Amino acid sequence: MTTNTIYQFYRLLEKDIISFSYRGSFSNNVLTMATQLFKDNVEERHEKLRNKLSFLMIESFQNISRYADSEEEISLDDNSEFFMTRNIGDTFYVISANLIDNDKIPMVREKLEQVNTLDKSELNKLYREVLTNKQINEKGGAGLGFIEMVRKTKGKLPFDFVTIDNKQSMFFMQIELRNPKVDDGLPSISLSDAKQIQALVAQENILMMHKGDYSEDAVGPMLKMVEENMQNVSLKIHKKIFHFLVEILQNISKHSYALDGKHEGIFQIGYDHKNFRIGTGNFILNSEIENLRNLLDMVNSKTVDELNALYRKYLREGKITNSGSAGLGLIDLARETLDKINYEFMKINDTYSFFSLTVKF
Amino acid sequence: MSEPINLEKTKNSPEIILDKGASIFKIAGRSIVEDPKEFYTPIYNWLKDYIKAPVKVTNFVFDLEYFNSSSARQIMEIIMLLEKIPATGNKVKVDWLYEEGDEMSKERGDEIKLVSKLDFEIKEYPAEDF
Repeated sequence: MTTNTIYQFYRLLEKDIISFSYRGSFSNNVLTMATQLFKDNVEERHEKLRNKLSFLMIESFQNISRYADSEEEISLDDNSEFFMTRNIGDTFYVISANLIDNDKIPMVREKLEQVNTLDKSELNKLYREVLTNKQINEKGGAGLGFIEMVRKTKGKLPFDFVTIDNKQSMFFMQIELRNPKVDDGLPSISLSDAKQIQALVAQENILMMHKGDYSEDAVGPMLKMVEENMQNVSLKIHKKIFHFLVEILQNISKHSYALDGKHEGIFQIGYDHKNFRIGTGNFILNSEIENLRNLLDMVNSKTVDELNALYRKYLREGKITNSGSAGLGLIDLARETLDKINYEFMKINDTYSFFSLTVKF
Repeated sequence: MSEPINLEKTKNSPEIILDKGASIFKIAGRSIVEDPKEFYTPIYNWLKDYIKAPVKVTNFVFDLEYFNSSSARQIMEIIMLLEKIPATGNKVKVDWLYEEGDEMSKERGDEIKLVSKLDFEIKEYPAEDF
């Protein structure tokens, strides 16, 4: 994960109002928090869709765990399970990707092709049939899941299998949920979009990614989500992640350039088997770049001892630079990160730029 | 004598008890408020009044699992007020508590101890069982 990775994702997710993705071993905890995140943050006009969305997220998520052929603990690699929910315009997308044994593909394909050809009354009929049929799939009613999904999605359920080797493939599926009351008129996002995002997430070792509004009241649920999902790492790492996130996210909410009243931002947590990385991206006024760059270069040029001295001086005197407490947060990041604070400014137009930053620990 | 302050902890702000009568002075929990200055102003004002006539030994307890960098500055303001107590002929002691294994809270305590002029003790307590 580099500052450029963050920019690439920002471009890929440019139209997303909220998006959240998770890669790795799945627990119900992740699911609970992800559904909560969307429940708390979807806009008022989608109020009626909330339950449907939660239902589809749960169904899709459980489908991953049901089809995932993992008897042992899943290790994080390029083929780890992937789950994503996106809100673009007035439409929601629920995407899942997981490993499947090649010999099971024909069975899954057949089921999906079947549900994709049926109309609503045929689907209802099939649903009742499967419900009362004793010959249920050995992994537990997966047929019902597909029927439920296709009944709630717009049109058909797009799916695909990407071969990994002669034993396994990656199984992609995308559910599209439209608000019947409002139509944004936007074309549907294709499954290849999701495949591209998953490939980049895997390549860059990203565990968790969120894009959304980082105004003060949106930061809280995000922190809670990360906190609850980091219970299995040591207290030391857990604290560090939390520490970095508080500083960085509060910085976005306080200092980023707001577009249409929203402090849009993106954040990622990555893990490369050795170190964690946190990356964020947000907009900043071009007129503020010079100050920020000076401050970043200043903290990056100091040794940890010098940074400690600066921090301590600030504690007693309350002043180190003209920028006030923003400087304290950056000093703190600089002395905790394992290398420098990596940053980049990408000009968007004459008014504002995209500012991305990564720290490693 | 000022009325005691008794704030319950929230998801962003710590529990605060300042009670001269009961001789309890404590800040515990998490402090990640976005505007710490506003949050800590009443605390600061209470203490400013309190240090004019403190109890014989003020034992101030910090038990902070986490605080953001802007809260750090406000915590230091409180400590600097407490530094004025010895001049009144009374004593003051700070206990900085942290949970076993929580290196970050310990390090933050070490750092504040280093810059403070107080009798300052850093104490570990056993990790909670879940």
